[in-house]
Amino acid sequence: MNRDLRNIAIENSDDIIHEWLKEINLLKNVNYTMDISDKLYESNNKEFVNVIFSSIRENGSTMVVEEFSKKIIHLGWPLSYITDGLLVFRKVTLNTILNKLEEVDPAFIASVLSNVDSWVEPIIRHLVNEYSVSWEHIVSLQRIALQELSAPLIPVMDNITIMPLIGTIDTERAKFIMENLLEGVMRHNAEVVLIDITGVPVVDTMVAHHLFQATEAVRLLGAKCILVGIRPEIAQTIVNLGINFSQLPTKSTLKKGFMLALEITNKSIVEMDNKSQYFNEILGISKED
Amino acid sequence: MRIPILKLHNYLLISIQTELDDHTAIQFQEDLLGEIHKTEATGVVIDLTSVDVIDSFIAKVLGDVVSMSDLMGAKVVLTGIQPAVAMTLIELGIHLQNVPTALDLEQGLLKLHQELGE
Repeated sequence: MNRDLRNIAIENSDDIIHEWLKEINLLKNVNYTMDISDKLYESNNKEFVNVIFSSIRENGSTMVVEEFSKKIIHLGWPLSYITDGLLVFRKVTLNTILNKLEEVDPAFIASVLSNVDSWVEPIIRHLVNEYSVSWEHIVSLQRIALQELSAPLIPVMDNITIMPLIGTIDTERAKFIMENLLEGVMRHNAEVVLIDITGVPVVDTMVAHHLFQATEAVRLLGAKCILVGIRPEIAQTIVNLGINFSQLPTKSTLKKGFMLALEITNKSIVEMDNKSQYFNEILGISKED
Repeated sequence: MRIPILKLHNYLLISIQTELDDHTAIQFQEDLLGEIHKTEATGVVIDLTSVDVIDSFIAKVLGDVVSMSDLMGAKVVLTGIQPAVAMTLIELGIHLQNVPTALDLEQGLLKLHQELGE
């Protein structure tokens, strides 16, 4: 019985493919595959339907499906194309088989239904699995990339290090920031660390708490933290929330913070006096002119 | 186990290289204060580079030692606190607010030198 149904499906494969292509072409205009050329779409459809049939013929063998799924994931076909295609295939096959048979016994129809389902199901499951694995892979890669960007530490001078922070700070990231900060202070022998929060959109009590903890830990190591890049709106939020930043030196810009850091480390920027003279000499202008 | 206290000119140098238990810590506190009294040292550097664990009691003792030495006229600097130790202390809510710190022994001595104005 199972075999009979499969034979019917395979014998009528031309009809089914024809119907299926017609239906799937209707779907093309509806959404997702608008920007794919007609030729490519057609050839891919043919391959897809062949894969479905060979899977049915080989009794649910996943070899062909696996290869096909790798290929379409690589090419970036949307998952909805696959699921829609299989649903349409199911509908078309059911129609074809039921048309070919005269019997209208409910039990028989039920068995046809379950049979066709059992052809389509493994393919759908396999493809959806492959897709989700590929997505998870991408997400994990992006998470790593994000983590690499989340707490960079830049030594700009002997004993002066800058940590620019961009984006929202949550608990997990705060922990990562603190670890990186402390390791960096040890590694670079930093005396002053400038934490730049220009790129942090919101400073609420939680972010402030994390920043406090980080700076206190840095102080225990024997270095000093300066919080820079406090924008007007951030200053307003901080005061409105009643957060006390008085123990922590703060500056509005990185430039001002850097000057303070130079002061702490007993350094200063000296402008070269003879620079203008040097340029004048090059340009052949004498002082008297 | 007693922690050795070394004298260098006006300074006392202590490098803690063992796991500090409560008894050792108290013993150390007494020894150090005695030594300050005896040598009339003006500065003390306590180096914690090889200390991996500081619990709340040890932290309290260290804070106390700093205040006590201050009372006796000796400035104390803690040096070489490891990142992991600093994180644990902060998470425990121990901020050692009035304790001067420095990155390593060299910076610690420099800091003492600056603060004592010698």
